[in-house]
Amino acid sequence: MKKLVLVMGIVAVALSATFAQEFKVAKSTGRLELNIGRVTVEGYNGNEIVFSSKDHRGKEDERANGLRAINSLGLEDNTGLGINVADKGNVIEVNQLKKMNSPDVRIMVPKGVIVSFSFESQYGGTAAFKNMENEIEVSANYNSIELENVTGPLTVKTVYGHVEADLSQNVKGPVSIVSVYGYADVTLPVATKANLKMSTSYGEIFVAPEFKIEIEKTGSMVRYSDKISGTINGGGLNLDIRCDYGKVYLRKK
Amino acid sequence: MEKEKLESLLIDYIDGKLSEADRALVEQELAKSEEAYSMYEQLREVIQAMKKSLPIEPGISLKRDFDKFLKAELESIQKPKGKVVSFQSYAYRIAAGVAFVILSVSIGYQVNKNYRQEQELARLKSEMDATKQMMMAMLDNQQSASQRMVGATVAFKMEKMDDEIVTALAKSMNEDPNTNVRLAAMEALSKFYQEPGVQKVLIHSLSVQKDPVVQIALIQLLVQMKEKSVVNELEKIADDPVTLKAVKDEAYNGILKLS
Repeated sequence: MKKLVLVMGIVAVALSATFAQEFKVAKSTGRLELNIGRVTVEGYNGNEIVFSSKDHRGKEDERANGLRAINSLGLEDNTGLGINVADKGNVIEVNQLKKMNSPDVRIMVPKGVIVSFSFESQYGGTAAFKNMENEIEVSANYNSIELENVTGPLTVKTVYGHVEADLSQNVKGPVSIVSVYGYADVTLPVATKANLKMSTSYGEIFVAPEFKIEIEKTGSMVRYSDKISGTINGGGLNLDIRCDYGKVYLRKK
Repeated sequence: MEKEKLESLLIDYIDGKLSEADRALVEQELAKSEEAYSMYEQLREVIQAMKKSLPIEPGISLKRDFDKFLKAELESIQKPKGKVVSFQSYAYRIAAGVAFVILSVSIGYQVNKNYRQEQELARLKSEMDATKQMMMAMLDNQQSASQRMVGATVAFKMEKMDDEIVTALAKSMNEDPNTNVRLAAMEALSKFYQEPGVQKVLIHSLSVQKDPVVQIALIQLLVQMKEKSVVNELEKIADDPVTLKAVKDEAYNGILKLS
């Protein structure tokens, strides 16, 4: 019985491996520009950018069998993953072909690649970034952004989405996080040396008591209490968090 | 042998000052020539006479006059003036020496200081230029938004801005594809909001700014600056149907606060 389960397991893994499509681009530097609605990007020690799908099989549109999705950009699905990957020398551009249903894509990137995520439509999902030492740029309107075990540098903007950022031990500045309506929940190692700027217009700011912020007075302009500018551990990298309507949370790691 | 040479040799011979070789030569000459011998005789007589004669004493009156004169002269030199003069001259010399040393040192110091100041200034200037160039280059980095962020942050930390920097920051604030960079550029400019050039740039940005996040921050900044001239522009933004609601709210808020 156990043997049977084992064999079945091996067969299942083998099958999933053959079904799981991968698309690889040999590139360990330059920029990866993602214009797709939903993505999980992970850092790894390699020389190729590896695209794969996280979509579950079976919920595909049967009527679309044998047809291909096209869009106004005239792009083709050259990956089999519902996305178009175009190598433009120093820049790898990734576009999705469907308008409403963004495919769920998983991308493994080498450390030297700058990852830029940019999406304007509201029909997207979460953009997640994990275990990355890369520079990350995010410019979104509706997407929520999740960052886990990243070092930065980080420039994140989303209008309606929220931002969750868990920064790893050796943070590299600058880190700038902006959300208009969403919250920003940032986890930071206590020992991080940073120049901190946190502001909210109609939200609140919560900070872990372990962070001793030395508020600095800058300029002659009236600064309201909802704009905090100061240093922790003597100052260092620049860390800006701004949420106009959302709340700001700063936690210790 | 020539006469003059023989004469001088004979004189030395009589005095006994000649070397063996010269003496032999002179004796040979004396034995040989009659003339030389007679000359020798004459010379010997003269020299012996000179040796015998007493030293000549000056006359008593002459001596007295001379002593008197010498005494007067000594007195005139030493007594009243002499000491003081010499003392003064020492003091003067020391003072002059000290003054000279001080003067030369201070001139040297001044020259050195000026030189150092100039050098320092030149160094600061070149450093500032370098910082500026670096900053501009960073603001222009198409590859990396975080580099452009750092550029804007460098500008934020600058003591003062020139037109070139203001223009570059204005460009970043209005045209950079990255919102965070735009915000950082705006923040750098806002530090110098009192300068008319910067004020103009900020007011102008309100009419061209398309990034809603920056629009919100910009409206807040202009309201803090109590910039009443932007009310019309705020009304335009509030009336624009495509304006994001948050921006509209901020515009209304601004209109209320400014008017």
